[in-house]
Amino acid sequence: MGTGPEVVSAGHALYNRTCTACHGIDGGEGERAPALVGDRRFFRLSENSIFDTIRGGIPGTAMPPFSLPDDDLWRIVVFIRAMRGSASETDVPGNAQQGMAVFTGKGGCMQCHTLNGRGGSIGPDLSNVGAQVTLKHLQESLTQERPIPADYRPVKVVTREGKTVEGIAKNEDAFSIQMLDYQNKLHLYDTNELRQIVPGKTSLMPHNYDKVLTAQEYQDLVAMLARQVHTTLHVHQDGEGEVGR
Amino acid sequence: MKGVALCIVLIMVLTIASSLTAQITDKDLLQPPGDDWLSYHGSYDSQRHSVLDQIKLSNVGSLVSKWVYHVPGAGGLQSVPIVVNGVMYVTQPNEIYALDGQSGRLIWHYQHILAKAPDREGPNRGAAVFEDKVYFTTTDSFLIALDAANGNVLWQSKIAEASDGYHSPAAPLVAKGKVMVGVTYGDRGLNGFLDAFDAKTGDHLWRFNSIPKPGEPGGDTWAGDSWQHAGGATWLTGSYDPELNLLYWGIGNPSPDFNGDVRKGDNLYTDSMVAVDLDTGKLKWYFQFTPHDVMDWDGAEIPVLVDARFDGKMRKLLVQADRNGFYYILDRATGEFLHGNRFATQLNWASGLTPQGRPVLVPGIEPTLTGTKVCPSSIGATNWMSPTYSPQTGLFYFVALEGCGLATKNTEKFRPGGFQYRAGGDVLLRDDTWKVYVRALDLITGKQVWERERIGSTSLGGGLLSTAGGVIFSAELNGEFVALDAKTGRIVWHFNTGQPINAQPVTYMFHGKQYVAIASGSDIFGFALFEPEKLSGD
Repeated sequence: MGTGPEVVSAGHALYNRTCTACHGIDGGEGERAPALVGDRRFFRLSENSIFDTIRGGIPGTAMPPFSLPDDDLWRIVVFIRAMRGSASETDVPGNAQQGMAVFTGKGGCMQCHTLNGRGGSIGPDLSNVGAQVTLKHLQESLTQERPIPADYRPVKVVTREGKTVEGIAKNEDAFSIQMLDYQNKLHLYDTNELRQIVPGKTSLMPHNYDKVLTAQEYQDLVAMLARQVHTTLHVHQDGEGEVGR
Repeated sequence: MKGVALCIVLIMVLTIASSLTAQITDKDLLQPPGDDWLSYHGSYDSQRHSVLDQIKLSNVGSLVSKWVYHVPGAGGLQSVPIVVNGVMYVTQPNEIYALDGQSGRLIWHYQHILAKAPDREGPNRGAAVFEDKVYFTTTDSFLIALDAANGNVLWQSKIAEASDGYHSPAAPLVAKGKVMVGVTYGDRGLNGFLDAFDAKTGDHLWRFNSIPKPGEPGGDTWAGDSWQHAGGATWLTGSYDPELNLLYWGIGNPSPDFNGDVRKGDNLYTDSMVAVDLDTGKLKWYFQFTPHDVMDWDGAEIPVLVDARFDGKMRKLLVQADRNGFYYILDRATGEFLHGNRFATQLNWASGLTPQGRPVLVPGIEPTLTGTKVCPSSIGATNWMSPTYSPQTGLFYFVALEGCGLATKNTEKFRPGGFQYRAGGDVLLRDDTWKVYVRALDLITGKQVWERERIGSTSLGGGLLSTAGGVIFSAELNGEFVALDAKTGRIVWHFNTGQPINAQPVTYMFHGKQYVAIASGSDIFGFALFEPEKLSGD
């Protein structure tokens, strides 16, 4: 049966039919049962134990046993695993090579992001993003306004001498601020040296890639990013793709 | 057309603007330590003497801790902070942090993820910088280059096979666009080497092997096939003379450490100072401090380069206080032995040095099956903690340990995969005579001018820094960070950091204020002169 996209998709359908009466949709919290996806460290159940839990229920709780065919149970397990796993552990359909072309071309992603040693620095390095976030997180970053990560908040400061510096705040407290400007230069200020600190309100990350890209381009981009795991950067082995696992 | 031209001009302006952020040039690296602290030793000559004098004898008493940065999960930090324009780079094994040098606040952090957890063994002694990059090495033997502004990884190059047991603990040295890195462990029978990589691309350029093979010069100093598991680690950062274009690297002990029966001969180039051509990696000269060492007395101690008058004429000198208890002066152009004298009071293995600088052995003072008292102990009469030289006083300062060990040998065999291969050891005889000192020697005569005991320290601890303010900063294993009068050794300031110190102090200047910094235990401390705080308030 495998763990491919079509199995995940079938599992998704089964999950929505069978589980969402209690659990929330797409792994979120439901009215009668907890979220199945969240911070990964809370979920250490193996696939086998997820399977057993669905088939046998959890005695003493509202979680009942389900008498679905074993194959369908496995499809649900595969779906839950896909929701929980890092993006790189998930089989994401799409052409990674085309996705790379979108990343470096139409998407304009390299203006802000570094990938394997090349690109901008005003956004996070994405060389290992496939191992760091879930597929859901990855998709939401591209399509929804999300909270600004703590060390990527846009900010403008004006010094007592009247000089203006714009960039992102890598760190800040009441007494000092550490900024990276848009020319990739660091600025370190004691707040006594500053007349004004103006925080930006929204993330610099565009979140309309599902609209400005075609459906295929978007899927290819997601597929490429999902495969980004940090391997040896300098020495590539023969036969290994640009994103080897 | 005009629009296109304007566009090109704009692109050029932007390019120039961004290239201005490429910070460190070859010329910067040729300067003595001043506002910045750009390398493990502060400068190529490894004198660790800063030209800064805002903090001086008359005001050092009002030095206070301005900030502490706790390095998450850190053990005993050995990292020497590198400071560029107020940005401080510190490391712990497989991790590097950029800090604000005036507030101690984190700017960015990078963690190298290991393929296998057991590769995580300490220590890491620090980073290096060149142009817009910062470099550090990992416990699974990679050299990693990151963008100094944001911590993004630009490239990483493999130095050695971690599965063989290799690990790269020393801070890299950058010179003329090359990054030099060494390896350990000589105590596991792994043959050491010094590698050079291209600073821009990470391409491997050359390798100097510490252990010559049969048929090569020096290959006949290893009996049989003992050269195959012979040690000679390159585990500390060396020095560089830009005029001679020579690198100076101290080479570690032979393997197995304590049983020399299986490796008869002088065992080159272990326990030696080697001079290697920067462009080619070829050996120019060597000087062996301890031929056929059986006490783990690595010759890795820091080579300090000084131009000074010797026997009436100016010479390019290399001085080293060696783990074997002797102080050496070499001509660093030729490797000629110029002078040597014992600095350790407790020294029983040699009665002196020949005119060529070879130790005159005392028969029977070596590890045996039942144990023999050997002085100094295997820790050595000094070790890897950095010495300093002050041109103001003409004195060479270093940390000395007086003590002996009961040394035994056994028949342990080499096992591949990075296992210990010492074939013996010594029981440290920590009696009343076991003491740690900061000592000041006259550079040329090697005579002791003063000493200051590190009371309460059970071993060597951290190293030294001298400044144009006439102060020696001294980092003690008992946690005390101490300032001494460079002329007399009198204590002029101290601060209890609360954890054992096993690192070297640095100093730098930012926004008109001189700082002194040191890694202590799991924390980095920044010190500056006291001034009442001005808070903007609301």
